[in-house]
This record gives sequence, structure tokens and C-alpha cells, in this order.
Amino acid sequence: MSTPYRSSNRQTQTFWAVLAIASAIDIAATWLLGRPGYPPYARMIFALLPIPANLVLLAVIVRRIRRLDEFLRHVHLEAAAIAFLLTALAVFIYADLQKANCVGPLNVGVAWLLMALFYGIGYAIAARHYR
Amino acid sequence: MKNRLRVLRAEMNWTQADLAAMVGISRQAVIAVENGKYDPALPLAFRLARAFGKNVEEVFVWEENTPQ
Repeated sequence: MSTPYRSSNRQTQTFWAVLAIASAIDIAATWLLGRPGYPPYARMIFALLPIPANLVLLAVIVRRIRRLDEFLRHVHLEAAAIAFLLTALAVFIYADLQKANCVGPLNVGVAWLLMALFYGIGYAIAARHYR
Repeated sequence: MKNRLRVLRAEMNWTQADLAAMVGISRQAVIAVENGKYDPALPLAFRLARAFGKNVEEVFVWEENTPQ
């Protein structure tokens, strides 16, 4: 009747390995795009390079979520909702500050880091609530 | 909703980790249910009750003033 709950080391290792590979490809693509001398078609390929690894990362994350028990899914849902809303709020406020000429252009990488930070905060809040 | 999980677990001399492994959930889930912070869905409630060889009503007690 019960589905064995598994949060195996193998799954965790797979997640971190795929995350490391995807991040390395992202950084490499950004680095290549920052170098002059490549023709437009090559630059387009560099820009699209991160897609496959990131799709694999997405699949690994979805698989991990599906193997969580109902309680942990609940906690992660709250964390995701908090991260989504806080990131949206931060980006909108930054956009308004930009319009007011208080800050420079937004680096997309910073928005991603903010989302990760807010996810961590959201997870801590949700986990604490149910403790 | 109240539950007798902690009492029943103590009677069986099981740890939270033992119960979690038996039912196939995380230890955090057992802690949250025991502390009344999380009400499990019906399938999990049945699995928890079955682990003690009891009916759901013997483990989980509905209270009329339970918030929705």
C-alpha cells in the first residue's frame, strides 16, 4: 500500500552533478558570448547551448519532487510560492527604481540568485511553521 | 484534528524514524503530524493507522472547532 520514501544519496548526487554541469555550460556560454570575433550563427549556437542541460536539470528536479512525500511537497510548494512572489516583488521594485534613475540595468543572473535566496528563505519559513 | 500518534508510537517503542520508514514517508512528516501542525491526506492517514494495526478513527480524532 505504501510507496517507500526514498531520498537516496544517489538522487542527491545526480541532482548536484546535473546542476554543476548545467551551471558550467551556462557560464561557458556567457563567456563565449562575451568574446568578439565569432560569426552570428556561432553566437546563436552559444546562446542556445545551455538549453539541453537545463532541460535535463528540470527533469531531475521534477522527478525529485514527485518522489517526495505529501508533507515535503507541501513545504516545497510554500517555499516556491514565497520565492516566486518575493522575486517578482524585487524585480518590480528594481524596475521602478530604474525608471527613477536610481539604479543601473538589472543583471538577469542577479535575479536568478535572488530567486534561489528567496527559495531558501521560503523553505526555512515553511519548515519552521510545520515543526 | 487531534491524533494519538505519539502515544501509540511510544506504546510500540518505535522511533519517529522507524514509523517513517514503515509508512514510507519522511521523518519531518511524522514530526509535523505528531505535533498537530500538519493534517495528513486520507491515504496517508490510513497508512499511519494501519502501521499500528488500528482504524483511522482510533488514531485521528476530528474536533468540531478544527480550522478549515
